[in-house]
Amino acid sequence: MQSIYKYIISLLFCLFLYPIQAQEKNEPAPEKKVQEQKKKEEPKEPEVKFFNGFTVQVDVASLATTALKLGDSYSMEGGIQFDLKKKYYPVFELGVAGADKFSSANAEFKTNGLFGRFGIDMNMMKKKKDSKPTSNLFLAGVRIGMSHFAYDVTNLQITDGYWGGTETVDYTNRVSTKVWYEIVAGVRVEIIKNIFMGWTVRDKNLLGTDVSGEVFPAYIPGYGLNTSNIWSINYTIGYHF
Amino acid sequence: MKNKINIVLILFLLLGISCTVDEGCRKSKTVNMGISFYHVVNKDTTTVMKIDSITVQGLGVDSILYNNTKKLSKILVPLNKIVPESRFVITFDTIKDTITIEQTNTDEYLSLECGCIKVHSIDTVLTTNHFIDSVKISNHTVNTTNAEHLQIYN
Repeated sequence: MQSIYKYIISLLFCLFLYPIQAQEKNEPAPEKKVQEQKKKEEPKEPEVKFFNGFTVQVDVASLATTALKLGDSYSMEGGIQFDLKKKYYPVFELGVAGADKFSSANAEFKTNGLFGRFGIDMNMMKKKKDSKPTSNLFLAGVRIGMSHFAYDVTNLQITDGYWGGTETVDYTNRVSTKVWYEIVAGVRVEIIKNIFMGWTVRDKNLLGTDVSGEVFPAYIPGYGLNTSNIWSINYTIGYHF
Repeated sequence: MKNKINIVLILFLLLGISCTVDEGCRKSKTVNMGISFYHVVNKDTTTVMKIDSITVQGLGVDSILYNNTKKLSKILVPLNKIVPESRFVITFDTIKDTITIEQTNTDEYLSLECGCIKVHSIDTVLTTNHFIDSVKISNHTVNTTNAEHLQIYN
């Protein structure tokens, strides 16, 4: 806000000064003129607005893998990212994911659930003082993710090899909430006016551990396989408003 | 620049698709009850006893767990996973005893790939007293640790 005031005051000052300078045009003052010219030649950083719109984006990597059925899980996600001062990019991501996995002994794990993430990216690209802010970005940031979902683990066979007999164990309608954090890095480039494409590499870290002996989900929507650390990649396409 | 980014992206995508986690089960699934043998020397003193020859078999089961095995001071036997009672016929040299364990069976989930196991909590132990003098439960919880759970005294 202060910079806006400064900007307005300096603008008014310049406007006020210009007619006086015009009047004094005929008066010889060569030293002053040289100084002013030098001032004009100095590179001035272009003014950057606080809010520079937002980008609505979808992850095409998860859509492609889901469509091609490359895995036994699916995921669809999108997000909205705000542009603050061409430097900070708060982001909110929302998606739906699920899995239908079978073990080698034919036990089945099934889940469907929503997930959300929020966080912030920073543009790590260094720009020259006199250059215009670019639309191509190298971003690094953090996310906090959460998913609340229900799952089933069924057809778990317990066979007694010595005494004989088999029992089938089913865990149905189990509910779980998982929270994780992500360290992300990626690039975003403007391919056509206002249309951006980019990719993000995510280092995901699960918070909290499962209780030993109790049933736990094999897959977490928005996170992936239930391990303490996992890597993933998103390839996004978005429109900047 | 954009082309280079796209090439890197495709490589990452292929890497992501090609990398699959090996989800094989690496956890122990064997649950056995440990029985150790002791000899009562006097009222306050006991010593570990090695049985010259021991044969152990579940009652009503054809399969023999230990068949005339020599010089053992500890045996590991599986409890019934389905029924809450396990009976064993133990032959000490030539003397037979029947030991009955009443236990609570509980499901323990390991993972999707490993599945479930049954762990047990020993409630009661009953025995005939031909060779066996007495039985003491030293640890009620039977899981994958192969610990000592029963002490048999002679």
